Parts: sequence; C-alpha cells; structure tokens
Amino acid sequence: MKSFIQTGAVALFAAALLASTAAGAKTLVYCSEGSPENFTPALNTTGTSFDAARPVFDQLTEFKPGTTETEPGLAQSWDVSPDGLTFTFHLRKGVKFHGGVNGFKPTRDFNADDVLFSFNRQWKDDNPYHKISGGKFDYFSDMDMPASLDSVTKTDDYTVVMKLKSPNAPILANLAMDFMSIQSAEYADFLLKAGKPEQFDQIPVGTGPFSFVAYQKDAVIRFKAFPEYWRGKAKIDDLVYAITPDPTVRLAKIEKNECQIMIAPRPADLAELGKNADINLLHAPGLNIAYWAFNTTKPPLDKLEVRQALIQAVDKPTIIKEVYQGAGQAAKNLIPPIMWGYNDDVTDYAYDPAKAKELLAKSGITLPLEIDLWWMPVQRPYNPNAKRIAELMQSDLAKVGVNATLKSYEWGEYRKRMQAGESMTGQLGWTGDNGDPDNFFFLFGCNAEKKPASQNLAKYCDDAFNADLVKARGLSDQAERAKIYKEMQVIMHNDALMMTIAHSVVYEPIRKSVEGYKISPLGSHYFYNVDLK
Amino acid sequence: MIKFILRRLLLTIPTFLALTLVTFVAIRLVPGDPVEVRAGEHGISPERLAMLRHEMGLDQPVIVQYFQYLWQLAHGNFGTSLRTSGPVATEFFSLFPATLELAFCAMMFAILLGIPAGVLAAVRRGNVLDHGVMGISVIGYSMPIFWWGLLLIMFFSEWLNLTPISGRIDPIKFYFDTPTGFMLFDAWWSGQEGAVWDAAQHLILPTIVLGTVPLAVIARITRSSMLEVLSEDYVRTARAKGMSPLRVVGLHALRNALIPVVTSIGLAIGSLLAGAVLTETIFSWPGIGTWLIESINERDYPSLQGGIMLISSFVIVINLLVDVLYGAINPRLRHGR
Repeated sequence: MKSFIQTGAVALFAAALLASTAAGAKTLVYCSEGSPENFTPALNTTGTSFDAARPVFDQLTEFKPGTTETEPGLAQSWDVSPDGLTFTFHLRKGVKFHGGVNGFKPTRDFNADDVLFSFNRQWKDDNPYHKISGGKFDYFSDMDMPASLDSVTKTDDYTVVMKLKSPNAPILANLAMDFMSIQSAEYADFLLKAGKPEQFDQIPVGTGPFSFVAYQKDAVIRFKAFPEYWRGKAKIDDLVYAITPDPTVRLAKIEKNECQIMIAPRPADLAELGKNADINLLHAPGLNIAYWAFNTTKPPLDKLEVRQALIQAVDKPTIIKEVYQGAGQAAKNLIPPIMWGYNDDVTDYAYDPAKAKELLAKSGITLPLEIDLWWMPVQRPYNPNAKRIAELMQSDLAKVGVNATLKSYEWGEYRKRMQAGESMTGQLGWTGDNGDPDNFFFLFGCNAEKKPASQNLAKYCDDAFNADLVKARGLSDQAERAKIYKEMQVIMHNDALMMTIAHSVVYEPIRKSVEGYKISPLGSHYFYNVDLK
Repeated sequence: MIKFILRRLLLTIPTFLALTLVTFVAIRLVPGDPVEVRAGEHGISPERLAMLRHEMGLDQPVIVQYFQYLWQLAHGNFGTSLRTSGPVATEFFSLFPATLELAFCAMMFAILLGIPAGVLAAVRRGNVLDHGVMGISVIGYSMPIFWWGLLLIMFFSEWLNLTPISGRIDPIKFYFDTPTGFMLFDAWWSGQEGAVWDAAQHLILPTIVLGTVPLAVIARITRSSMLEVLSEDYVRTARAKGMSPLRVVGLHALRNALIPVVTSIGLAIGSLLAGAVLTETIFSWPGIGTWLIESINERDYPSLQGGIMLISSFVIVINLLVDVLYGAINPRLRHGR
C-alpha cells in the first residue's frame, strides 16, 4: 500500500513537472540590467524598475508599441470639453485582474474605483497607501500632476471625470506613462485587512498581459501569460527577466541563446553583434537631446552674436564622430526627429570659424573672451562622454579667440549649481518622458526660468516662445499643436540659446527567433506582441 | 579557553563602535545626497527637497543622526532602505547566503589546492616545480578579477561550451523555492532532477575567479612556513630516526606549518568578501555585492551602514573562530604563553 502511494505521488509529481515544462511552452528570456526598487511604477524613477512592472500593468491610455503616440488602453474612449478642462473617460468593461497572486482572488472586474485609487494613492495624504513604501511619488510630482489636477471623480462604475485647473493637452500622454499604471483597489483592501500593505508594492496585481510569478533580487523575475488578458493571451507562455548587470556578460548570453533580447550593448560590441548571423541588431533614435546651453543673463552671452559665434566655432560633426561613434546623430532642434511636431526645415548653424570670428568682432567684445564650460561628471543616455566633448569644444574655441575653462562637480552638485545659474555655459540634456513635444519645450518656458530647480540653464524667457508654449498646451488637435511647435523650433534656433549637440541612437540586439518585437523610442521594453519561432 | 573567548568578545565592542563611526562618516563624505541623486535631470524644487529630506531624517544634525543610528542598532534595528523601503536586515539576509555559498566554495578551492601546492613547492625547493608553483601564484595574486572572470567566461562558456555564463541556475529548466538561499542545498531539496548538477556547474567559474587570489596567498604562505619548519631540529631528528618522508612532512611538519596559514585564512575572509563584489557583478550572482554597489550609487545610507555592519560582524566572528581554532592547534597561545 505504502509503495502504491509512493508510486502515485511520484507519478503525480512527474506529471506536474511535465506540465510545467510542457513541450511547446514558449519561454522568452530577456537579459535586463538590474533589479527593480519594487513593482509599483508610481514609486520609482528608473527605467529598470518600470520595465520590471510593465508586463503586469495597463494604463488608461497607452503608447502604441514602437511609437510615442497614445492609444486607448483601459479607457476605451474619452471626451474633452471645449474649454479643455474636463476629460470624461469611458472605461473598458470586462477587464480582469490577475487572480491567485499572493492568495488574492479578485471578486470583480476592473472599474472606476481602481482608477480613483491609482490617482489618490499618489495625490491624497489621506489615502491609506499614501505613506506605504516610502511614499515618494516623484513622477506624479515631476509631471506637475498635483498642480494640474482639480478633481478626479467617478459618475458610475465605468465613467471617470478628470477636471484640470488649466488646459493641458499633454496630460493624455502622462496617463500613458508607467507612473499612472492602474492598480487594483480590491487587492489594496485585501492586503490592508491582512495587515501587510507593504506587500502591495512587492507582489504586484494588475490587468496586464503577464501576471507576476516570482522575483529573486538580482537574479530573476518570472511572469506567466495571463490567459484572460483583455487583448487576448500573449503568444509566449512564460517571460523571464535574467538580471545581468555586466554588458559583456549579457552579450555572451545572447550569443549562446541564454537570452533572446538584451538591453544596452556596449558601443564597442556593436560591430561584433552586427556580424552575428543569429542576431538582429535593432536600432532606433533615442527620445533625448544633449546640448550645450548658454546662460543668457551673463554678459557677454546676453549678446546674440556671441552665442551664434560660439555655436559656429565648434566642429559638431567631429564630436558626433569621435564621441558618439555611431550611437548618435547630430541634433539641430531640441526635439528628436522621431517626435511629431519636428521641424525639418530648420537649417543648423554650420561649423564656420571664420564666420564665428566675424560675429565676435561685430559684437564689439574684446578678445580673448574668457568663459567657463561645464561638463557633467557622469555618462548619460544622451551623452557618453561630456568631458571629451568639452575638450574638443575647448580646442575649437581657442582657435577663434575664446578661452574656455573646463569645470565640473559631483553630479547632484553639478545640476544644483547650474540650475541656480552659476555657469556661463555648460552641457546637460534631457530624456523625454511621454513623447509629447511639450515635455521638451516646457524646459525653456518662462515658468521654468523662474523656478530655482529647473532645467532652463539658458535662463531664457521669450514672450513669443512662451505664448506658443501655453497655447499649444491648451489645444487638443494634434495637427494644430504640431504647427505651433514647429514655430517654436524656429524661435529657439534664431535665439541661439544653446548648441544642440546630439540625439543618441539606441541599440537592442534580439535573436532571429524573436518575432514581433519593437524597440520603443521611450526606452521601455514591452513583450506582449512577441513570439518565438 | 572560555576566558580567552570572553576576552576576545569584549575586544570586539570597541571595534564595532569604531566601525559604526567610520561607516557613518565615510558614506556622508561622498558628495551628493540620496534625494538629489534620485532627482536626475528633472531637478527637484527646494520645497520638495526639504520635505523628502525631512521624511528621511536627513535634515537633522549629523551628530543627532549618528546617535539615532546607534540607538537603533542597539535595539537590533538596521534601519530601512531608502531605495526600496524594505528593512535592511531582511534584504541583507535574503542575499547573503549566495555570497556565503560562493565565498565558501572559493575558500575550499583555495585551501584544497593551495596547501598541497605550497607543501610540494617547499619539499621540492629550488626545483622546477617550486618555481612553477611560485610563478603561477604571483600571476594569480596580481590577476585583475574583472578581466580574469571575463576571460574564463569567454574560454570555458563561449568557446568550449562547458559552463554556463552567469547566474546560479538555469532559469528555464529549473524553478523552485529557495528557502535557505544556498542554491546547492535548495536544488537538492527541490528534488528536481539535474538541479544540483546545474547549480554546481554555475558555481565553477565564480569559484575559480574568487578563489584565485586566496589560492595564491595560501600557497605562498604554506611554502614559506613549511620551509621554516622543515629546517627545525625536530624534523631533522624525525628524519634521522628513519621515519618515512611522507610521515615527516605530513604529520610533523605540516601541522606546525599550518599555524600561519590558518591565520591568513581568517584574514582572507575580509578580502574574499571584497572580491565577491566584483565577482558577483561579472557572473550576475545575486549576493550582497551588487546590492552594495547599488546602495553606494543611490547613496542609500541605511543599506550601506547596515550592510557594512553585518559583513563586519561576520568577519569578526570568523576571525574569532579562527583564533579559537588557532588555540587548538597551538597550545602555547591557549595557555597565554
């Protein structure tokens, strides 16, 4: 009898094992870069953390894969009032939350309560989850949500009304960002009653294409396809993030098919990857800009000719070639060319030392001109080596009679001092958050000029530019907005408040067996459409 | 013996106090604070900066923060991570077994190869074997860990296809709970066929990389200590009595020669943990190494302070054990002579 039970148990166990590794179960392994801080995007600021939570969640609006355009997500449609102040969202019906995660079994479909919870947790002090897990909702604050929102209420289970304090068209793109992921209010209650609310951010429950299975810090995150996903089950069955911090090791893993998609290859490895017959090297322009800004309040940089002279004195093509080495394209506008509203008619200032000298002479300043030139002490996605760029600039500037003193500080200190207006000229950059041009142009609006911690390093406040900025924000028609943004690029070019250096090019190697994967201009990774041959 | 252990235990108290002060001050000397590091290009308004600093307790005078920290420590509370908001001790102990497993294997590798190599070199002093062992140990000692690790991956994993590249276990083939965090044990406990072998294969390269430096050190110390002992009168007497060379070396000489070797092993634990930081990064080994590096980057003061305290406690305990063991091998010390 005993041996019979034992045999039975062994058979059952073997069957379970077989089922779990059933032939044909498709597992996609993604070599990611690091561990998430937790699984609630609203609490986090890094791409690594957003990527880790993305399979689990949906948002009201979503980015079309591979683009920066938004499309309906959990909100099936919405109406905007003529004054642009009231957004009425009609929610999708029949959307299920993941069941069986952390002992939680949803008793209802997704509805307006979940939307209100996801807003209020970040917004309202009295929400029981507001202080859980440190309660720092950086993006909610960075995207100016508290200042924009007047109220968010529900009229019935499937209708949510969002009222704004002032017209703000880009807010629809904000809602597609990770920090506005919709979490389950019912799961939140369930954990609160169980006395373990902190698990809410460690073991996520959402409506997304994959449900969370397990996470081992610095090792692996596991997801499985959610069969009841409202868009239909994903084509792969299991999704595994193999956390691999070193880029050389990630490369070795994708070459051996230990993972099928990898993040962030080293520029030095691109040539080798390009030659590998088993790998497709995808690339896309990054949604970012590196620039060299001139503080227009510091003489003689208040003179237009001087700023134009500095731009024309510097050999941009050489910087792109030497520093970016194929992973960057020269920038002539603040926004990258993949963004709607990009003005391709702007002609960049050419490298022309003779013209620069002429402009300097015309400006009436005495040469040699002494300036400072700040460079960031860290690598950024848009700038692989600010110091090297500064050195190249310095030698170019010397040729036209401008002596640039190179300067740098610890990264936090660097930003603080520059934002306070301490520098004459300096490098910095920006990575777009939501794909809306406003998310770049607001940096140089008059509002930002007044803010002590803003990125308006040029300390620039132009009436025409600012009026355009405010006007475009209030319009809901994208074509009209694009027209205004094109004008603003002309104003920026003419005012020469910065030398736009480059937009980076992002590379992502994938195995040829991977189908349907699209590289995202927003730098996010999305695996719902992916299949394995 | 008990008196000896008690005395050693009492001596650890000032060590710990000094340690709390050093870690606390050193971390704060690094420019940039946790709130600003987090802000990135978005910048942060002075009001929000003040609010977040207040919530993290960073607006208090440093001396007050230090005493608060000591008070917490005295209650066994290592604080809360600024990055993840999780308790530091919980995070540490979920990752430490991986580091411990790797460090243990590396130490075993170093001892099991290093002592015989050192003995052989000493016995065959001046001959090719001696020069060979010593030459290799110099190379091993000066090998940059990062380079060595990548080299081994390229050779064994990519060309020969013998070992997996990184991680602790194949994430596609195996999936089981890891209650202890020691992968070899958990793999065996899971009962999944092939899991133990897979985990062992994953251990090979990191063990070699981390074990190389201690291996070189142990081989060299064993050799020099052995040479000293071999020239002692009692060894000559043993030889003169006609004892077999194996017995002379293995029984009489080795036991005495091991005393400095054991000390060096105790001391090596510290450098082994330091080496683990790099080794873990190369092999995506989910131990405390990556965690500490991230904590430094994010200026996560509580995690760093707690992590360093816990590691140091471990090193101190190991050294205490070594001292006790030392006493067992060397009775002169035990009796305070």
